[in-house]
Amino acid sequence: MIYLDNAATTQPNMVALEHAQDYLTTRYYNPSALYREGYEVSGELKKARSALLSKVADETLFELVFTSGGTEADNQAVFAFAKRGNAVTTAGEHSAISAVFAELKNRGVVEPRIAPLERNGQVDVEKLLALIDEKTSFVSVMHVNNELGSINDVNTIAKLVKQKNPRVIFHSDGVQAYGKLPFKIAKEIDLYSISAHKLGGLKGIGGLIKRKSLALPAYIFGGGQELGRRSGTENVFGIQQFAFAAEEKFLTLKADFERIMRLRERLWDGLDQTIFQRLSPTDGTPYILNVSAVGLRGEVLLHMANDKGLLIGTGSACSSNSKTRYSKVVLACGYDERVADGVLRLSFSPKNTEEEIDEAIKILNEIGLDLKNRMK
Amino acid sequence: MKKVIIIRYAEIFLKKKNRGFFERAFENNLQRALKGYTYELIKQSGRYLIENFDEYETEEMLAKLQKVFGAHSFSVAQETASDLDSIFEAAKSYCQESGTFKVDTHRGDKKYPLTSIEISREIGAKILEYAKGKLKVDVHNPSFTVHVDVRDHGKALVFGEFIDGANGMPVGTAGKGMLLLSGGIDSPVAGYMMAKRGLKVDCLHFHSYPYTNMQAKEKVVDLAKILSEYTCGTKLYVVSVTHIQEAIHEKCKAELMITLLRRFMYRIAERQALRIGSQCLITGESLGQVASQTIEGMTSSNSVVEKLPVLRPLVGFDKNEIIEKSVKMGAYETSILPFEDCCTVFLPEFPAIRPKLSEILREESKLDVEGLIAEAFASLEKIEL
Repeated sequence: MIYLDNAATTQPNMVALEHAQDYLTTRYYNPSALYREGYEVSGELKKARSALLSKVADETLFELVFTSGGTEADNQAVFAFAKRGNAVTTAGEHSAISAVFAELKNRGVVEPRIAPLERNGQVDVEKLLALIDEKTSFVSVMHVNNELGSINDVNTIAKLVKQKNPRVIFHSDGVQAYGKLPFKIAKEIDLYSISAHKLGGLKGIGGLIKRKSLALPAYIFGGGQELGRRSGTENVFGIQQFAFAAEEKFLTLKADFERIMRLRERLWDGLDQTIFQRLSPTDGTPYILNVSAVGLRGEVLLHMANDKGLLIGTGSACSSNSKTRYSKVVLACGYDERVADGVLRLSFSPKNTEEEIDEAIKILNEIGLDLKNRMK
Repeated sequence: MKKVIIIRYAEIFLKKKNRGFFERAFENNLQRALKGYTYELIKQSGRYLIENFDEYETEEMLAKLQKVFGAHSFSVAQETASDLDSIFEAAKSYCQESGTFKVDTHRGDKKYPLTSIEISREIGAKILEYAKGKLKVDVHNPSFTVHVDVRDHGKALVFGEFIDGANGMPVGTAGKGMLLLSGGIDSPVAGYMMAKRGLKVDCLHFHSYPYTNMQAKEKVVDLAKILSEYTCGTKLYVVSVTHIQEAIHEKCKAELMITLLRRFMYRIAERQALRIGSQCLITGESLGQVASQTIEGMTSSNSVVEKLPVLRPLVGFDKNEIIEKSVKMGAYETSILPFEDCCTVFLPEFPAIRPKLSEILREESKLDVEGLIAEAFASLEKIEL
């Protein structure tokens, strides 16, 4: 089986699993407990927090609040700060942001504004800035688009946004970027969401990185964990496994980046370009290659590939059971429904080999041609 | 005080010589519905009592019983001694704080010293005294009624309300049918309607993997499971028609895709029905609802079914009426999940609304009908629910 759906989730880091197992079986103490054993676990938690944070941010300026994942981090950010005037985001966001903006509209407290995308999947920065005025309270721009892989230069965008209105709280969804792109969070970014299971961690763990001086209201009330912002006994095992996995991932980040870039281009070069059209930009994340079998249906190809042992995605795995089958993001880039219907998302992990890529090329070309002939 | 569930049956009481057959089926279905619960089922004339069950499970058991066809109504009663004081004690718990009431008594025990009317009068008087002027008697239009049922052996049942049953006839008493189950709103309702008249229903679903997905099939399994609570279990047969659609697409006129496909579906359904001893086909068609559900469409489909009748219990219903029934049976939420159940990849832009049989036959003659059906049967899968 060849797994090319690593943007949906990727195999957990097994070494990290083993390493963290201790916190599941023998050191299962509640980190809030007052005896020595509990206190020690809380110390280990602190180390993990610091390790995860320091990879992308200056620890003197930022801190990390653990959450149940990227979606919760995004929800926390929006609901905490999009409270008055208008809030601005992009047409390329993951549903963890776009659905929250739709909810803001329902509640009628804040006016949501959506900035359009360029053909390459990046936000149109000029138009985004045009949406920001003195009444804007919150802006959210994703770092790496989860469908196309397009990268928004969020550090620069945050600076431009703050020049226009320094009171804006700026958030970025970094779920597909963390551990995959060389990046440090600029001081103009107030909030940044991360997730564990996209880089070898487990599902159910993520975090919201926040500027220290920013007062983040409590999202879940209870025992006051996470400095009162997110109550509930910490998922110590998940956090430790996340920290170990991230440690390893960041060590090879640059080497992985280059190798996977070669894999991505090898895959694209091998695909039958009379069937497939490339939607991912060349300067996007190497981890995602989005193509469209124009005029064919991506989901049918997904099933056909599945039967041949190749696991791929269509749009975003998180939106494949939503009512509209067309990728909103692809439509937002200006493509028509025939293109949007044929979308396949191929996403990589450092574990993928050249042999796998070659086999995937063979399968994709075969099924693409097969379906094209059947639909004639 | 002990709780008892009273079950009254519906049309069975109209049966004379073969009432036993209907009663046995009804009992079996009640027992099937209550599988996993501890209880005793006691048969009385024209009704059943459920006793010795865990009272915390009353609501749950009632919900299961409400899905058994053949039951007219239920009541949750308290069993007491049949002296007036004990009856009054039980009756108190059904009294509202204010308003009007009446006491309605049935006397099974004809040796009881008071007549039904006298018992009602005595209990009514005690309630009036107890309510200290807040309640009044109104025998014509009371805001609540206390029901008293005096039984043999010095026992009485006291209850406040009648809970509607599903009515109809016990499933299994009217034979066996094969329901063509899609993932939509109509077909589960059609199965429900026929089960209500006592038919044992099995289901047949057609899928077009890889053009449809696994979630779509899972949804049909869920729908069959919901239906199975009314049909006392069901067998779901799943058949792939992908190759048939591809053959039609390749060789025949695009606008006849649905018409031709339906003829295959009906042929496969009849053969599978005969294989398992089903006596009819059931579909969720409603006249004029979509292009293939015109009289011409139905004629075209019917003409390939040789031996069995095709029952269309929804043929005269509006969509709204069907939705109402779907909601009532608890299938609606599942039916509207957005998975495609029929391959829309091959769906023509303008399907034929009034296909001519001569044209259909001409197009169909381009296909190896028997070969395609045999291939479909090779994909047959059975899921027991």
